[in-house]
Amino acid sequence: MIRPAPLIGLAICGWLLAVLLLGSGYEQRLMALAAAAALMAIGYQLVFGQAGALSLAQGACFAIGAYGAGILSRLGWPLWAELPAAVLAPAALAALAHVPVRRLDGHFFALATLGFAVLVRLVAVDAQGLTGGANGLIGVPTFGRGPGAMLVGWGVVGLAAALALWLKRGDPDLARASGLDPSRIRARGFVLAAGFAGAGGALQAHVLGLVSPDVADFQVMVGCLAMVVIGGRGSVVGAVLGALLIGHLPEWLRPLGASYRIAYGLGLFACLLVAPAGMIGTLETVWPSRRALGATAPAPPAPVGRGLRLEGLEKSYGGIAVLRGVALEIRPGEIVGLIGPNGSGKTTLVNLISGLDRPDRGTIRLGDRPLDRLPPERIALAGVARSFQSPAPPDRMSPLDLVTAALAARSGCAGFGAAAALQPLHRQARGLLRRSPSSDIARALALDPAILLLDEPAAGLDADARARLGLLLRALADEGRGLLVVEHDMGFLMGLADRVAVLLDGRIVRVGTAAEVRADPVVRAAYLGTAAC
Amino acid sequence: MTGSMPAELAILAQLLLNGLALGAAYALVALGFVLILNATGAINFAQGDMVMLGGYAAVALARILPVPGLVLLPLVMLAMAGFGLLFSALAWRPFRQRPPIFGLLATVALGLTLQEAMNAVEGAAPQAGPTLFGPGEIRFGPLGLSGAALGILIACLMLGLTQAWLLGRTQFGRRLRAAAQDPVTARALGLPVDRLIAASFMLATALAGAVGLLLSGPYFVTPTAGNDLILRAYIAVTIGGWGSLKGAVAGALLIALFESVVAGYASSTIATAALYGAVLLLLLVRPAGLFPAPLGRRA
Repeated sequence: MIRPAPLIGLAICGWLLAVLLLGSGYEQRLMALAAAAALMAIGYQLVFGQAGALSLAQGACFAIGAYGAGILSRLGWPLWAELPAAVLAPAALAALAHVPVRRLDGHFFALATLGFAVLVRLVAVDAQGLTGGANGLIGVPTFGRGPGAMLVGWGVVGLAAALALWLKRGDPDLARASGLDPSRIRARGFVLAAGFAGAGGALQAHVLGLVSPDVADFQVMVGCLAMVVIGGRGSVVGAVLGALLIGHLPEWLRPLGASYRIAYGLGLFACLLVAPAGMIGTLETVWPSRRALGATAPAPPAPVGRGLRLEGLEKSYGGIAVLRGVALEIRPGEIVGLIGPNGSGKTTLVNLISGLDRPDRGTIRLGDRPLDRLPPERIALAGVARSFQSPAPPDRMSPLDLVTAALAARSGCAGFGAAAALQPLHRQARGLLRRSPSSDIARALALDPAILLLDEPAAGLDADARARLGLLLRALADEGRGLLVVEHDMGFLMGLADRVAVLLDGRIVRVGTAAEVRADPVVRAAYLGTAAC
Repeated sequence: MTGSMPAELAILAQLLLNGLALGAAYALVALGFVLILNATGAINFAQGDMVMLGGYAAVALARILPVPGLVLLPLVMLAMAGFGLLFSALAWRPFRQRPPIFGLLATVALGLTLQEAMNAVEGAAPQAGPTLFGPGEIRFGPLGLSGAALGILIACLMLGLTQAWLLGRTQFGRRLRAAAQDPVTARALGLPVDRLIAASFMLATALAGAVGLLLSGPYFVTPTAGNDLILRAYIAVTIGGWGSLKGAVAGALLIALFESVVAGYASSTIATAALYGAVLLLLLVRPAGLFPAPLGRRA
């Protein structure tokens, strides 16, 4: 089971070894500088990649590390004391800067970190006594010539990568799904990231033998962002790969002169456009598709063959009867459309089946199993999943988070830290997201349901997306699942639904093929006439 | 020095007057930022770079057409509106189905590209653009206001009022606001939401272009001139209440007055540091800004 990330990691090790043994001193120095950038980028994965928060202070933390190492080593501090200080200083400042925004939304966090970066730059340029101002600091002790610096640098990167992988083992996606506080996860990521960046800055100062105020430029931050986005957001190996590529870009694009930086911007944009998951993320989505066919296709959709049977369902709210004895069967492999005018009880029916509301009377059975007294999450795990008309996902959960959480819930590892193998879940989740027209349907599919309830899935979709949705629903039915599709738009159900049930004033007044239903005079009068379809 | 106004007070009044012109310019940048924010829910990090581009457009036009800045203003705004259309096609359209962070990163990437491109074309040295009326100073008793600053003030006031009229009083403005408030319903009602969003981008970049021309005269323009402006706009919109147009204007004026006064008595470095410190304190005390937008309108 070789995955792309370890393979890329091996390739990077090979590249490093080749440069160490065969490369010139200049190339080795370039590699040592790339190691410094890699430390910054690895750290950035903990706040941006993992906690999903846009921090704009990572470059500033790098600068604090560089200045910290420069100032302290010129004061005569030994390396063993000065390096930890260069790591702790940005971490402590980051912790302080996070306090005012700890409970606030993402854009406040971005602003706070941007302001932090501005302050650091002001100090770097203007506090001449401390930072040397525009002249910077010279005479910082170095780790010797190329090979020495490279060995030290990449040794530290190796340790940092291991540490980052260890820190990532309890994944915040699941933590969030399990109700842990996202602001604490963000704070933790931000402070840890600052420490990594500080180490990177200190390393750079010792490789270059000087600290220049350029290190506090916003360009450093943009470079870090580019490394993580191009390498692959959330992946430690991706961060290292991004740092190596970005670090060598000026060298490779030397013919372009100073304007190579235009290529930065354009490259970053192109990557966002065509490969938003970055190199590692894209590789991982492409990679397993061939193997996954072999690995997952034979595993049958487990719940095939269980139909859903509703009998005598009644529900009233405060004396107003919404459902007055609904009976309906959804057989495996069948698409049942449910239509009805506004207020006829369609969504109530779906809510009752999915357990969000309890029926006053009547039964709901999946195969032989009664569902009508189970809580919603048990119903979902029993094999009845639903999508929502207007899904309201928890704050800060990306579609990928949601689908992954659903996958994890199904495989029974919803506890925080219990998920060692998150990568395959992520991969699977990306596959589902690609397949589905909306993230909410992907989330429902992640539960591998026997019965899928879709509340107006075609609402807001254009003709193209509708056609794709139709194909997806048919394919799902062909896998042996039963589908109940609540829809306003008769046109969408025509040619898709095997049977259409018409809900009118809380009763199913007609069940038949779409054509039969459409021709029915009662239905025409009550529904189709007003909906003008 | 006059008898009616003590010298101390006169200095303060002068600083506030200087701040007002800059604040008006900040306000237009912040307005553009909010327009795009409301239309797409995305933060446009390139808004400052649009100002920079507008400044260079003014510099380039002034080389060809030696006319006062007032004549060039509509030309620059028109050109920038066109650029806004292109920008929306690049930075918003491909990313509208993705989480907002991608749109934001796209604007970062495009802003960087713009900066580097202008650096390659024009170099890093500051360039002077046209002034609206030419040099000279207008005096109000003990206070003086340069022609350029007065021009900025008047132009921003006119543009701001025009925009308020456009958004508040015209059918186009109503549609724009409807599309921003509830795109799904607006689309269901048959409004061309995508085109309205593109129009928001055009309006926002036209405003940024106007600011670029106005600032290029007295303050010059450099490829990285937008970085400070986007920070100011971001702060203005945050303290003004995320998404509120009036709040953005108020926030921008407040920032400029604060900076102008602190810079007058201390230094511009200390002013920037104090501004940022004050913003953090404000967020601690009033997390939703000075003029909070109604719930649900925050991105």
